[in-house]
Amino acid sequence: MRFSEGRGHPVVGTETADTVGKVQRFVVDASQARVVALVLKKTPDKADVLRWADVITFGPDAVTVPSAGLLVEPDGELARLTNKKRSLLGQRVLTDAGDDIGEVDDVDFDPADGSIRHLLTSGGEVDAARLLGLGSYALMVRHS
Amino acid sequence: MTVLMRVTEVSGRPVVTVRGDDVAQVRDVVYGGGNGEVAGFTLAGRGLLAGPLKHGLPWGGVRALGRDAVIIDDESVFQPRDEVIARAQAKGGDVFGSQVLTDDGVELGEVVDVVLDVDEYADVVGYEIDPTEALSKDNKRVLIPLPDTLAVSGERLIVPAAAVDFVTDDLAGFGAAVEAFRDRLRESGSQA
Repeated sequence: MRFSEGRGHPVVGTETADTVGKVQRFVVDASQARVVALVLKKTPDKADVLRWADVITFGPDAVTVPSAGLLVEPDGELARLTNKKRSLLGQRVLTDAGDDIGEVDDVDFDPADGSIRHLLTSGGEVDAARLLGLGSYALMVRHS
Repeated sequence: MTVLMRVTEVSGRPVVTVRGDDVAQVRDVVYGGGNGEVAGFTLAGRGLLAGPLKHGLPWGGVRALGRDAVIIDDESVFQPRDEVIARAQAKGGDVFGSQVLTDDGVELGEVVDVVLDVDEYADVVGYEIDPTEALSKDNKRVLIPLPDTLAVSGERLIVPAAAVDFVTDDLAGFGAAVEAFRDRLRESGSQA
């Protein structure tokens, strides 16, 4: 599934069957090539981050979660990763050979486990196995 | 695969760690050795108001010099700026504005840029010059290949007369021109 498809998915609490929010963006640990959390909008209160570990399923039409009580206000490492500047979309992609290969337009991920499969960049598709990390300047990938 | 690039394009290029953090930008290229190879870089901070940094980047700390950035492992590869500058032997960085003269006494023009061939090492392989009429009628900048070894001193740079036969006007064909020129020098056994 692509980030662009997953965005806007309703997040439903299975215990109460009510909507606890909508997927606004994906929080990624680039060095692990993995989605670690979702930032939601239209949540009941200030807590708007859902850890991937607390997701029951990321389905084709909705995300299920036990209850709204699992939403958190991030701290520590999760807060750092949740910073908007660390969003993958729009990020400059640089190879370890020092060549700029474009920007991230979309990301293909496995909804079963949150692992990232491919980056879709303006310069073509980049396999997630090439990911090195995300810094202040760019998303680094291994030279192909 | 080697890549040709102009020194003026390298200046200002960001220095980025493999983790993606920009930690400096290139200020000047420091040339060392007799072969005109790059010994390192002096650095400036990132951002409009940032000035020169007290540390420099020796070539040994460069993981890659790419078209868009200089990649390093991390900031531990930096050395005090004075130590990096001390590696400079020839006054290679001062060639801008120097006149290029052939060894048979023809004035070719003034150096406006330096061309590097970048692979495991970065070597000076040519100059971009603002040509005299003897070399070009239309005053457009041209690239002139250099021998493997070149004595750089004073305000004039002496190149073998044969270099004139291998002048090109863009980088695309210049790598082949440098090869052909150096082959010719080897065949004739003449070295500048």
